[in-house]
Amino acid sequence: MSMENFNIGYHCTGKQCELGRGGKVAMRWIGTDFERRDYTFDDLNRTTNQFANALAGLGVRRGEVLFTFLPKSPEQFVAFLGSLKAECITGTLFSNFGEDALIDRIGASEACLLVTRKSLYRKIEKVRDRLPALRMVILTDIQEDLSTDVLSWSRLMAGASPDFAVPVTDPETPSVLHYTSGSTGKPKGVLHRHRSLVKQTQTARDILGLRDDDIYWCTADQGWVTGTSYGIIGPWSLGITQVHFGGGYDARNWMELIEREKVSVWYTAPTALRMLLREEASLYGEFNLKELRHICSVGEPLNPEVITWGREVLGKDIFDTWFQTETGAIMISNRPGLAIRPGSMGIPYGDVKAGVIADDGTELGVGAQGNLCLRSGWESMFITYLKNESAYQSKFRNGWYMTGDMAWRDEDGYYWFLGRSDDVINTSGHLVSPFEVESALLELPEVAESGVIAAPDELLFEKVVAFVQLHAGFEYTPELELKMRIHVANRLSSVATPQEIFQVEALPKNKSGKIMRRVLKARYLGEEMGDISTLEERQ
Amino acid sequence: MITLEMLEPIFREVFDDNAVVLNRDTTADNIDAWDSISHMNLVLALELRFKIKFALGELKTLKNVGEMLDLINKKCSK
Repeated sequence: MSMENFNIGYHCTGKQCELGRGGKVAMRWIGTDFERRDYTFDDLNRTTNQFANALAGLGVRRGEVLFTFLPKSPEQFVAFLGSLKAECITGTLFSNFGEDALIDRIGASEACLLVTRKSLYRKIEKVRDRLPALRMVILTDIQEDLSTDVLSWSRLMAGASPDFAVPVTDPETPSVLHYTSGSTGKPKGVLHRHRSLVKQTQTARDILGLRDDDIYWCTADQGWVTGTSYGIIGPWSLGITQVHFGGGYDARNWMELIEREKVSVWYTAPTALRMLLREEASLYGEFNLKELRHICSVGEPLNPEVITWGREVLGKDIFDTWFQTETGAIMISNRPGLAIRPGSMGIPYGDVKAGVIADDGTELGVGAQGNLCLRSGWESMFITYLKNESAYQSKFRNGWYMTGDMAWRDEDGYYWFLGRSDDVINTSGHLVSPFEVESALLELPEVAESGVIAAPDELLFEKVVAFVQLHAGFEYTPELELKMRIHVANRLSSVATPQEIFQVEALPKNKSGKIMRRVLKARYLGEEMGDISTLEERQ
Repeated sequence: MITLEMLEPIFREVFDDNAVVLNRDTTADNIDAWDSISHMNLVLALELRFKIKFALGELKTLKNVGEMLDLINKKCSK
């Protein structure tokens, strides 16, 4: 008996052609000028085959790591699926990452190849000597190779065969790599396997509610897990037509796009929805959104006000969904057929078993607050933190995966998010490590010490707030504040930029010298500081 | 009078790209790192360097760098 092929690249392209969808539009690409370009499943199959062949020609082997570092662009999808066909480990890098963030990901994973474009390659050039494993870079916007290791996408693709025999891929074969930030240390490489396809397909069908005739738009950037699980894998494994838009947020453009392209299912983020909520309600009356059947949201908790706005202004429910980079697919959600409880994460999907667990490992009952955990073993569960197995093991206890989120469950099984159990900052759906921001600030000669916290924000859910102690002789000025903001944005990412920075005489530390972020947070919020018995005396 | 050449070093610093070349038609679509958050850094930088203040939402209506330059010059001449 032949083994079932779990290859994600195959399921999203060749299999769709075999099912008779070769001529169906897989991707409707909308450029920043609103120009439309269609790619059928045949096109997607052929180009991803070419890319897989190009990789083989370059000597890239099964199991090697490669990354895309691109803004939303057609080449990103081709590179992603083509490399999965070749059984490479494929990572996507947010195009606004700075040098430190790039080194932490490309360097730590020992990636051998990067697909990017000229303007972004300038960042890589600056640090390439610190990326010894990086053998080749492919640029999507040059016609001829720049050197023996900086190659032209179009030249490579033109020379590559459109026929590729996708290997019968074992479900345990590593597939997608996304880095995620923790509250301490460097970002960790969350590694998935081809088996994740099972849950991504099921949830795209049952939670996003995708049907064969849908036009689907996921606004997430491919640099993050939503952008790959639900901007590539889930919908295309179901043969769905996806709209991808190269432009950024603009309320009018977005509504025009939904109207013009007859988007029927829309997956977006609470920050974007809150920005839309702030627009004049009359804007929405200008557009015919009747084709829009289903709206889902992911990234941060969806506040009830947005759900009410969706009903009143768009005439639609907005279904909040919850998952993490580590879970690979939606685990808990509101979905059609369930009554929405505004503010709730919803109910675990299918065979996903969730629980609220006390710090001592005891499973808690209805109404009790504790650690949100998932019983390990679901198909899209990550298989390790790349080159950091001990960190991976530390996430599991008694067969439970500890999500790092705190929650409680009501009597009907709905889960309610309370916050993080660590210091990780969730700003507009992006996880930011306070440690990384603190480290970036310390690179500046003026900064002696820094402490970074999450503070509540009406638009972003949480914002990055920094406290800095300057070296003697330096003065805190608006110029210095700007310098700090720009430095963090350019070293890490724009999303990590502190929205507020405070100068302090000293930072609160415990007796072993660790900065007490919770004390900073309590001070910021004007709350009681709690147990400060370990606070260093001079504080 | 402020010129595009005077804006260029500010853009290069904010967006960490020494190859940025501005013309009046340049928009956020032409500069990879120009997103809503780095836009705030740009606004702060322009305010500090030219000692001006932008009103809330004033920049939202601008279509390109040319219109931004015109607004800066208008503010500087007051």
